[in-house]
Amino acid sequence: MKNHLIDFIDISKSYDGNMVLDEFNLYVRENEFVTLLGPSGCGKTTTLRLLGGFETPDTGKILFDSEDITNMPPNERKLNTVFQKYSLFPHMTIAENIAFGLKIRKKSKSYINDKIKYALKLVNLEGFENRSTDSLSGGQQQRIAIARAIVNEPKVLLLDEPLGALDLKLRQNMQYELMRLKEELGITFLYVTHDQEEALTMSDTIVVMNQGYIQQIGTPEMIYNEPENAFVADFIGHSNIIDGIMIEDRLVEILGVRMPCVDEGFGTHTPVDVVIRPEDVELVKPEEGALSGEVVSLIFKGVHYELEVMANGYEWLVHTTEYVPVGSKVGIRVIPFNIQIMHKPESSDEKAVEIDE
Amino acid sequence: MVKKGVSRLYLALIFCFLYLPIAVLVVLSFNRSKSHVVWTGFTLDWYAECFRNQNIMSAFATTLEITFAAAVLSTIIGTLAAIGISAMKRRSRTIYLGATNIPLLNADIVTGISMMLLFVRFTNLGFVTVLIAHITFNIPYVILNVLPRLKQASRYTYEAALDLGAGPLYAFFKVTWPEILPGVFSGFLMAVTMSLDDFSITYFTKGAGINTLSTMLYAELRKGIRPELYALSTVLFFTVLLLLIAINLNSDKTPAPAAGKAVANKGAGLPDAPRPNGTAKQFVSSAKTRRAFYAKRAVCAVILVSLAVGSLAVLFSASPLISGGQTITVLNYGQYFDEDALRRFEEETGIRVNYEEYDDPEEMYTKYKAGAIDYDVICTSEYMIEKLIQEGEVLELDFSAIPNYAALDPNIIEMTSSYDPEHKYTVPYFYGTLGILYNTKLVDAEDVKSWDCLWNGKYAGSMIMTRSVRDAFAPALITLGYSINDTDKDHLLEALEILKDQNPDVSAYYVDETRDEMIAENAAIGVCYSGDAGEAMAENENLAYSIPEEGSNLWIDSWFMPKTCKNQEAVFRFLDYVCRDDVAQANFDYVYYTSPNRSVAAGMDAETRENEAVNPSEETIRRCEVFRALSDESAGLYNTLWQELISN
Amino acid sequence: MNKLKKQLLAGPYLVWIIGFILLPFLMIVYYAFTNADGGFTMEYLAAVLDANNRKALFLSLELGVICTVLCLLISYPLAMILNGMNIKNQSLVVFLFMLPMWMNFMLRILAWKLLLSKNGVINSFLSLFGFPGVYILNTPAAVVFGMVYDFLPFMLLPVYNSMTRIRKDWLEAAQDLGAGHLAIFFKIILPLTVSGIISGVVMVFVPSLTSFAISEVLGGGKVLLIGNIIEQDFMQGMQWNAGSGLSLVLMVFVIISMALMNLFDKEGEGTAIW
Repeated sequence: MKNHLIDFIDISKSYDGNMVLDEFNLYVRENEFVTLLGPSGCGKTTTLRLLGGFETPDTGKILFDSEDITNMPPNERKLNTVFQKYSLFPHMTIAENIAFGLKIRKKSKSYINDKIKYALKLVNLEGFENRSTDSLSGGQQQRIAIARAIVNEPKVLLLDEPLGALDLKLRQNMQYELMRLKEELGITFLYVTHDQEEALTMSDTIVVMNQGYIQQIGTPEMIYNEPENAFVADFIGHSNIIDGIMIEDRLVEILGVRMPCVDEGFGTHTPVDVVIRPEDVELVKPEEGALSGEVVSLIFKGVHYELEVMANGYEWLVHTTEYVPVGSKVGIRVIPFNIQIMHKPESSDEKAVEIDE
Repeated sequence: MVKKGVSRLYLALIFCFLYLPIAVLVVLSFNRSKSHVVWTGFTLDWYAECFRNQNIMSAFATTLEITFAAAVLSTIIGTLAAIGISAMKRRSRTIYLGATNIPLLNADIVTGISMMLLFVRFTNLGFVTVLIAHITFNIPYVILNVLPRLKQASRYTYEAALDLGAGPLYAFFKVTWPEILPGVFSGFLMAVTMSLDDFSITYFTKGAGINTLSTMLYAELRKGIRPELYALSTVLFFTVLLLLIAINLNSDKTPAPAAGKAVANKGAGLPDAPRPNGTAKQFVSSAKTRRAFYAKRAVCAVILVSLAVGSLAVLFSASPLISGGQTITVLNYGQYFDEDALRRFEEETGIRVNYEEYDDPEEMYTKYKAGAIDYDVICTSEYMIEKLIQEGEVLELDFSAIPNYAALDPNIIEMTSSYDPEHKYTVPYFYGTLGILYNTKLVDAEDVKSWDCLWNGKYAGSMIMTRSVRDAFAPALITLGYSINDTDKDHLLEALEILKDQNPDVSAYYVDETRDEMIAENAAIGVCYSGDAGEAMAENENLAYSIPEEGSNLWIDSWFMPKTCKNQEAVFRFLDYVCRDDVAQANFDYVYYTSPNRSVAAGMDAETRENEAVNPSEETIRRCEVFRALSDESAGLYNTLWQELISN
Repeated sequence: MNKLKKQLLAGPYLVWIIGFILLPFLMIVYYAFTNADGGFTMEYLAAVLDANNRKALFLSLELGVICTVLCLLISYPLAMILNGMNIKNQSLVVFLFMLPMWMNFMLRILAWKLLLSKNGVINSFLSLFGFPGVYILNTPAAVVFGMVYDFLPFMLLPVYNSMTRIRKDWLEAAQDLGAGHLAIFFKIILPLTVSGIISGVVMVFVPSLTSFAISEVLGGGKVLLIGNIIEQDFMQGMQWNAGSGLSLVLMVFVIISMALMNLFDKEGEGTAIW
């Protein structure tokens, strides 16, 4: 097990009485790509700014390499940030922007020049040294911002929704670039985004946050396949989330139908949330399904069709590669392994699930 | 925390620096005392005086008229120009914008002078010339406010309108015009602001009898400070405060710089202009901006209407005789004619008086010779009249049209023989002496019996010298034993040496201000004219007047009719009015110099008659000498020597 | 409207430029290069080297520089503090600092005369506490006071405007890259406000160099600036040619200012905002 590089311990932070982070605990291991994922206002950017040193927590402390850096000013921290708006200095050339941190550290001229060349090569913008910042496209500016941060050889690179302003194609390209960079540099990335696809693509670990609480921590696969609550499930993808009752171990009742599942330990006759992914719903003949219903809409999505099936008073979202015309009677079947049972949240404001290590 | 404290303190300090002067003006406006800073009780009299004062009110009216007319016209020309410029190719646009920068960045004094030179060559200075000058320096502000809006006003929306079937004009007014409107309004407000505040350019381009607040105040400040001006300041300040608060409260949500004034001089990007890369947030803020803009527009309309109504109202109340037809232009020393008496003349005769003032005879000569204004009648000192008579600039008077001339003392008329030997050109107005006004608490009466007290350093730092060039040289020449009419260059250089030695001891060179400064006891000794001294002594009993035994200057100011006179008959009526007993008395009470009118002398009480400052004795008059005309060369020499003295 | 027709709208302005900007300028040039009889001469341009004129010009330059530097030194921290203020009514506070300049120019000078005179407000106040008086009325110092008071907003506004355009995240990025307070100031804030500073400097320096009214009222006739000489040449001495010559020399400084402005202030920060 690799050591903890960063520890957030019991961090609370509020603005004007609004609690943004409440008793927040998280650690990041060395050389990990950790993504904070959540809707806006969930506290993910605040977490990043606390680590960057632009905010101080109300309570709790932050350890970096076991050293308490809670009150250390940003310029003394051994980490660098890539800002959401790139934040390139408009009065400097590209080279001057990249050299900024190195000049502050009084590095030699030749060292700085080598670093600029190296960094520009790393972000595929060789020869851009003397361009002005406003002559660059958004993606190019973004890459310069990254170059400017990494020449300082930080132990951690903080990225605050760096791809938010880019268009889809560029965003996808940049995702690969970032992963490649991470490989080449071998440093820790702490990445903030509200885009679940981005998070699933790049991360080693995803931290799903909502309203100041951590909802789930895990690998992309775990987060996707085994969301721990309805919020995560909903946020990670379009799912069928249905009220259900856990009759006993391995048996759940939804929409008046009892179905076998694989989960245990929820007790008996307990209300739960049942999550079934659209691609896990099998369409069969009406009489063969656990439920039967009628197709009410059909959209061609390229690799599959997206259907809505009305069955037992619930509109099921279904992905299928077969063409099923609207109005067809169909049956619905789900194999037990694909039925995900989750606790109901204890209160309406989505209290965090227990994080057991 | 410490840092916050320091910056709070800094803000407070600057705040004091900015508001202390204004606070002083406001407090003094309620102070009963006329002298500077002693609080002697609360009064609203100065406000009443201020609103009664024709001088202030007509300057106020003129300011509003000029501001309003200049702002409207420059907005029209400037907006059209901006639209034209935006359609131009790069090269012609650069030329236009370069030309636009000239009035913006050029020194005001140079702009003013250049326009004056032009106007004087082709026309007379007057209201219109000031208006043209104001429009000239206003246009650039309008252009620079409208252009960026035009740039932002997307070509695409205009083209979309065309695509949807609108004609070009329709598309412009429905699509482009609403987008540039805020810029037009900003430009208009800027023009108003700049016009209201301008001094230098107005100063050089204004004609007789026309004063804006700035030029009126400049003239008043050089005469001495009157408490009505404090009241005026207070009224102006709070009016502006209320207006601007109204604007600011309405546009509270706009970014901070929107609060800033339209100061300044160049460029025009509006801070609240929506910028590219609009996000949802910016969209919201631009909606707010729009709301603020409509609010601003409402305030703007209020300003407009009040400007228009105000200027008309004041215009009518200030000049009831606007349709009277006859007008004469009078040029006189500052504070040398009772204002009420002047109004009465207008009411009695229906002749409107353009009244213009000057400080010293050289200034009068320049104003007259510049030919920018056709004066009908002028009052000035003996040596300058002599010079003008020699130059053939003076017309003979028809004394049969001035029956009240008979009211003047023949002995005094005889004194004018030095410059008007046949007594056919001039009507004496006042006479008096040059002497030393001193504060008996601070000065030994023995000292001021000789001009030596000016040079021996005893009253260093507490001495006010006269700024009138020849009167300043007179004591020096007398001390050296020369005549005050000596024009020998070496003698004058000797006198200059004395004055140069004196310069560090002199606290200021003043003419009319001397009186107030002495009343306020800001100096111990002031070289001034007898009438100023008399008035000062009436206000402050510690003051006394002395004419040194070595002798001094006796001066006689008279009215004459220059060649430029257009309305001789009206001038004769004016001079007849001036000579009338009651008018002579009113003017005497106002300026406190010695009047040649016999009934004024007869009406004095014993104490006044004894007062040398008001009524010089025959013995004194014998000791004194009258100035004679100078040749151009000598006058130039005096001027150069004076500048050398001051720049010492 | 097609483009050509649109361009015609600038016609009245073109007439105005020729009639009231170009022609007046040519008048000055004409007077500066001719003597009273209309003959060509360079003497009036050369007259700037005469002892009196030279002294006045140097004094004007000196006071102009002092005034400009003082305005900058006062405005810059003020603009920084105002910009950094995190309060609701920032615009109102900024507005309060701009307000005095709407008072009439002359009344502002009048106020300083009252404050500074020998038995004026400041001295009465000082003597109340037994301090010695300050006697600077009628000296160049008083003129500088008046100029700074009159022209301060012309510096404050462009500097403040340029400061509001500095994005907070630039400062954070600099800090993130290791810059301390000093480095942030000298490497980010100062360079980004250069255009505002230049605008402010030009807008304060030109009027303070050429002012004549302030020195007239606060200088007690003892402070002779180049503006006063020109004013006297025109209004008292009847020496229009000499005055024009000096004006033309002044234009040199104005042209230098314009060039500076064009070089640095491309966005027009010296702007007035309504």
